[in-house]
Order: sequence, then structure tokens, then C-alpha cells
Amino acid sequence: MDAFIRVANQSQGRDRLFRATQHACMFLRYLLESKAGKEAVVMKLKSLESSVSTGRKWFRLGNVVHAIQATEQSIQVTDLVPRLCLTLANLNRVVYYICDTVLWVKSVGLTSGINREKWQMRAVRHYYYFLLLSLVRDLYEILLQMGQVARDRAKREKSSRNPPEYSVVNEETEWLQSFLLLLFQSLKRHPPLLLDTVKNICDILIPLNQLGIYKSNLGVVGLGGLVSSLAGLITVVYPQLKLKTR
Amino acid sequence: MDAWVRFSAQSQARERLCRAAQYACSLLGHALQRHGASPELQKQIRQLEGHLSLGRKLLRLGNSADALESAKRAVHLSDVVLRFCITVSHLNRALYFACDNVLWAGKSGLAPRVDQEKWAQRSFRYYLFSLIMNLSRDAYEIRLLMEQETSAYSRRMKVSGVGVSGGVEPGGLGAPGPPGGCLPQLVLKFRLRILLLARVLRGHPPLLLDVLRNACDLFIPLDKLGLWRCGPGVVGLCGLISSILSILTLICPWLRLKP
Repeated sequence: MDAFIRVANQSQGRDRLFRATQHACMFLRYLLESKAGKEAVVMKLKSLESSVSTGRKWFRLGNVVHAIQATEQSIQVTDLVPRLCLTLANLNRVVYYICDTVLWVKSVGLTSGINREKWQMRAVRHYYYFLLLSLVRDLYEILLQMGQVARDRAKREKSSRNPPEYSVVNEETEWLQSFLLLLFQSLKRHPPLLLDTVKNICDILIPLNQLGIYKSNLGVVGLGGLVSSLAGLITVVYPQLKLKTR
Repeated sequence: MDAWVRFSAQSQARERLCRAAQYACSLLGHALQRHGASPELQKQIRQLEGHLSLGRKLLRLGNSADALESAKRAVHLSDVVLRFCITVSHLNRALYFACDNVLWAGKSGLAPRVDQEKWAQRSFRYYLFSLIMNLSRDAYEIRLLMEQETSAYSRRMKVSGVGVSGGVEPGGLGAPGPPGGCLPQLVLKFRLRILLLARVLRGHPPLLLDVLRNACDLFIPLDKLGLWRCGPGVVGLCGLISSILSILTLICPWLRLKP
């Protein structure tokens, strides 16, 4: 209960809990929609999902400032590629939050002259660019880590006195196998990077679906959102698992 | 900018801001109604207030656990009166949040058969009990501090060798006056008491803030339960003041009253 209270006291923690609930409802709806006799449950899941989604807007109000601060911090990153990716990603996040605030103003009825679809598409597009740039940064970090692991392994093989073993496996599959092994080892060494990559890959399914680039179904979007919310919750409960910039 | 990021990272801070906005809307709606503003604008304000109220109910989901934990912690306090008041207050708060969660479930369509009126009345009753406990605790703390002040004053008088002359006896504030108790002496005693109270409250800003906050909050359940109908204007104003005061305690943690 102590951990729950610690998470719930942070806005980000509570928001991720609600997001997990929202996407779990979406996924459950997908599973139960085709089954007969479950219409009442599906209706309840839909209303829970929509009320949680509406309520979550209150957690996003004012996050423009967070995104601007993150942009300022990312300008100071030492490495060139992460600096570029993170700065552009955070700039897109700023625009996304601005569009989101405009949509909120429309949804509470404070103004009526806003084209909801246009602003919704704008918000989704900028969220998509933000996730794409975050994934590019993750890819760069993974390649760096893989290079590091390969160098360490070469150093170990040089220092060990055993002659290199030749297997009878085909050269192509050997290359693929060693690449996957390298990828697995570098992600195992760096859990924050693994968590961030998983989160971004699962998150990007949502705008890909909304923009029509890769149309999936409710189940895929729901499951992806649920997994990414849980990954985000883990970084709130264990802050040491958050991906830090150098 | 950094201050906003740090402030809004606490979910309680966001909920307090929404509360302040909700009561500001309520006050604004009442003022607009009194001065005959356009029904369109009044409808917009009422709609915003409704959205804020529902949003706050969602933001408060899970606060029961926090209140129960605080009650568990308060059981270990040394002072008996404080232990009783604070624990009972937190338990009532936990029940208030539980009723509030039921109301949210009803409003959001999860449990459409919930009797909104009945559960709203229940939640306000628990809220009222919690506020009464808070005010009792405040009164107890004030009394303790006033006793401390008077004993410190009498110690200072004894040390400085000043003879205690009649009428200004600090230890004799509770002592019986001349038989029949003439009015000027009673008035003087009353004035001294008020001055002592003001001195105590001025010297302890957290206690003053807590007293003001609970006093302002008290009008809300009193009005909603029909015990003392003060009208939407007073309710809105008191709600706004208490929300601003609690936001102050979040921004400046030293202003929070510690048990």
C-alpha cells in the first residue's frame, strides 16, 4: 500500500495508472465484443474508458511548461545525435500539448469556434513525430551499446588463450544469430534503455493507427497502450530505471 | 517555470487547483446571476464547474488509501487528545473519499443505479465530522499554546520581581473575580483573552492557516446538508479561500500543521 500511495501522490504516477486502466478497458472491449451476452459489460467498459480518458485531460493541463523545460535540458546534452533527436522530440511534444490544451478548451465548452478534427489530427501528428524521434534516439543508444558489447567480447577473446571455434552453421544465419545475441546482451546490460524502447514501440502503435499509416485493431492499440503504461509505471516506482541523458 | 513543474508534479496540487477553479466558477456564476449577465455565459460557467467537479472526483480516486495510511500513522502519537482527534478525522476523510468514489462510479456510468442524492448526503456528513474533528484539534492546540504563554508570562513577571497587581493577574485570568463579577472586569478579562489568542495565532502561522481553512471549509457541508443555508455565493467564496490556503501549504511545506 505504501508503494501505491507513493505512486498515486505523483501526478505522473496517477496519470499512468489511469492510462493503464483506459487501455485495459480498450483491450477487454476488443476481447468481449464478439462474445454474445456481454453487451452490458462492454457498455460499462466503454463508459469507464471514456470517463477516465476525459479525466486524464486534467493531468495534461500545464504540461506545456514541462515540455519546454525538457527542451531546454535536451539542448545541453553532450552527444550530438541524442541532442538533436531529444530537442526536436521535445519541441514536437510542446506543440502536441498546445494542441491538447486547445482541444480541452473546446471540450469544456469555453469556446465554440474550434475545428476539433483538424486540431486532433495536428496533435496526433506531433505526438507521432515525438515518438519517432525518441525511437531514433533509442536506436542510436542501442547501436552504441552493441558496439560496446562487441568491443568487450573481442577484448575477452583476445585475452583468453583458446583458439576461435568454427561452427558448421551457414554464414548468413551466423551473422543474424550473433547480431541478435549482441542486441539481447546490450539490452540486458541496460534495462532503462530496454524499458524506454519497449514503451516507445508500444506507444507508436496508437498514432500509427489514428493517422492511418498502419491500421491495426482495438486489441492491438489497447494492448500496446497497456504495456507502455505499465512500463511507464515501472519507471515511476523505480526512478533508477528511467533512461538518463548523458 | 521550475516551480510550476515541481508543484504540478504532486497530484494533490493539481486537485487543489481544480478545487480553487471550481469554487471560483461557483462564485463567478453567482455574481453573474446577481448582476443579470447573459444566460449563455452563465451556462458556460456552470458547464465548466460541472466538468471541474467530475474531473476532481477522478483525481481523488485512491485518496482513501492515503487517508487510511495517515490514520494508521496518527495512532502512534503520544498526546491522547491529538491522537483521538487526528485519527478519527482521517478515518472520516477515508469514508468521505469512499462515498465520493461511489458518486464518481454513478456519474461516469459504471454503476448507474447509484442513488446520487443519498450518497452525496453521506459523503458530506463524513466530511462535516472530519472538519469538526480538525477544529477540535485546533482548539486543543490553541488552548495548550495559550496556557504555555500565560505560564511563561507569569514566570517572566516573577523573575523580574514585578508584583502582580490586581486586575492584571496573568495566572488569575481564570480566577473568580469579586463577588457579583462586575461587567468592566469581565470585559477586560475577555479582551485579554482575545489578545492572547491573537498573539498565539500570530506566533504560529501553520495553526492560524489550519484554523482559517477548516472554518472556511465548514460552510460547505453545513450548506449542502441544509443545517445552515448560506447561499452559493458564501459557499463559493469560502471554498475558494480554503483552496488557496491549502495551495499555500503545498507551496510552502513549513506552513503545514504537523501533529
